[in-house]
Amino acid sequence: MADPQSVDFYRFSRNLSDEERSVRDTVRRFVEQSFMLDIRRHFADGTFPVEIIPELGAMGLLGPSIHGPGCAGLSATIYGLICQELEWGDSGLRSFASVQGSLVMWPIATYGSDEQKNTWLPELAAGRKIGCFGLTEADHGSDPGGMETRAVRDGDGWVLNGSKLWITNANMSDVAVVWARCDEGVVGFLVERGVDGFSTNTIHGKYSLRASDTGELVFDEVRLPESSRLPDARGLKAPLACLNQARYGIAWGVVGAAIDCYETALRYAQERKQFDKPIAGFQLVQQKLVTMLTEIVKAQGLCQQLGRLKDDGINEVPMVSLAKRNNVAMALDCARTARDILGAAGITDEFSPGRHMANLESVKTYEGTHDIHTLIVGAEITGLPAYR
Amino acid sequence: MKIAVCVTQVPDSETRINLAAPASELDQSGFTRVLNPYDAFAVEEAVQIKERLGADCEITAITIGGDKVLETIKKDCLAVGCDKAIRVNDDAMIGADSMQVAKVLAAIIKRDGYDLVLAGKQTIDGDSGQVGPMLAEYLDCGHASVVTKLELADGTFTATREIEGGAEIVTGTLPAVITCQKGLNEPRLPSLPNIMKAGMKPQETVTCADLGIDVPPAHTTITTYTPPAPRAACRIVENEDPAAAAKELARLLRDEAKVI
Repeated sequence: MADPQSVDFYRFSRNLSDEERSVRDTVRRFVEQSFMLDIRRHFADGTFPVEIIPELGAMGLLGPSIHGPGCAGLSATIYGLICQELEWGDSGLRSFASVQGSLVMWPIATYGSDEQKNTWLPELAAGRKIGCFGLTEADHGSDPGGMETRAVRDGDGWVLNGSKLWITNANMSDVAVVWARCDEGVVGFLVERGVDGFSTNTIHGKYSLRASDTGELVFDEVRLPESSRLPDARGLKAPLACLNQARYGIAWGVVGAAIDCYETALRYAQERKQFDKPIAGFQLVQQKLVTMLTEIVKAQGLCQQLGRLKDDGINEVPMVSLAKRNNVAMALDCARTARDILGAAGITDEFSPGRHMANLESVKTYEGTHDIHTLIVGAEITGLPAYR
Repeated sequence: MKIAVCVTQVPDSETRINLAAPASELDQSGFTRVLNPYDAFAVEEAVQIKERLGADCEITAITIGGDKVLETIKKDCLAVGCDKAIRVNDDAMIGADSMQVAKVLAAIIKRDGYDLVLAGKQTIDGDSGQVGPMLAEYLDCGHASVVTKLELADGTFTATREIEGGAEIVTGTLPAVITCQKGLNEPRLPSLPNIMKAGMKPQETVTCADLGIDVPPAHTTITTYTPPAPRAACRIVENEDPAAAAKELARLLRDEAKVI
């Protein structure tokens, strides 16, 4: 078994409880046993291994930090460690869990009615039902406030029209958390598969997140009862708060991808001989490895502190933005450097860094682009929002 | 039914042992310690038996070791389904040989009384494979080692043992000691909620004195660890005609290497 402690240069594991370390090691073993054998095939075919979903549920990995019926209510740090180990496997796997937990279960637990919570949370936690989150539209990415999807009151219910794009889990979802504009502002709905006028489409030809279901949600005169609206979600800040949960998991997750890249590059450099010695013995290669390790250690420090703050109830958007921005860029740099160290071997799917590198291009863009997170932190420290 | 599962911690199989020259001790500071993989089959078998029998079954994990073993006990035994744990923590047992281990385990098992004792067929560090059979001797009960299938019925067991070139089916009466081999089952991973609850299960720590026994004397001592001899250089059969090269390779494998 690969050892998750192996890239723990600063002994962050000492700050974890026995239980936290056990969760981390168990998730790593799970990913190795249940996911890694088939990831190359799924990435090549552009498919998500759906058979792993009930296993994720049985292990308690879906929405583990959510408080609600059928949910474990564990710490933010544990949720972070889970994301790290899932993304050590593939960003597509972590994306599935992020969407299910942070973008579907979290808004239901936070904004939903008791009936919605009781209906959906146990099923979603067990992996018997799959959810997706519809906020982004074709013409409204970084500026979701400009959304064109409309909800209009119709007697006791609503009529929904519009579409959502770049939606993870779109085609395999049983329920969509959908955000739409109405006269009073932004409102959220739970839209079940099978409702008249609701359809989904697959996005083909992706270079990135190939082992992930990405698609479009289309709403054509979809009639919804008032009971499908999330009653406590008011305004755009409701979906943005969901994203803050998911970004937190991304900040941790990408560290896992970076660790896999670093370890792969290190092993390769120690074995690959040129000029009669392992290339790890050359100064330029050592500099690359040390830079990767240094950046991973710094990112691990950010995550650990962010996790403890979140557990203490401090979950400020700019702090999460800083970590998401830094860590994703860090992981992408690690993937590129690892690919470089691997030489020609790095361009094939024999080795993981090329796959991580392609995936992380999506991760850099989704859930708030790198640039938008720069502006969120920029607005925080200057008091001058650049995007208004 | 009361089931005892005897477990121990071993260095992870990917541990790199840095040994430049023969030494009397290994530097273990960098070792990652995990549950002995064969013991995982024993834990899983116990949990599956409990699942079949229902609540009328209690599983106790028994181990010998310092504080480092606690995390393994929680994660790989209590979180997986063992009900409680007993640990012998006695400085005098550091580096104990198989007979010392078997005697101390026997003292606990005699004290509490168990219907079935499960253990791994061997550890992957010491590799002696002796503790299970010795334990059965000290308990004066039957045993079956290297078991790949186990059935229990009304105070008896039927065990399929892996033997050279085939299988051997052994029946006997309980209590008995069964040592477990790969193939017996597929060890499960613990779920998160069970990991979190594991720490709340009862854990008892005892010394040999608490068990009312003297620390048994060692019968063997490890004197030297030596690194394996460096591998000889590879020989390449060079012949432009593939058929002739294959013939030559087969001849070398038969006449020189004597492996075919």
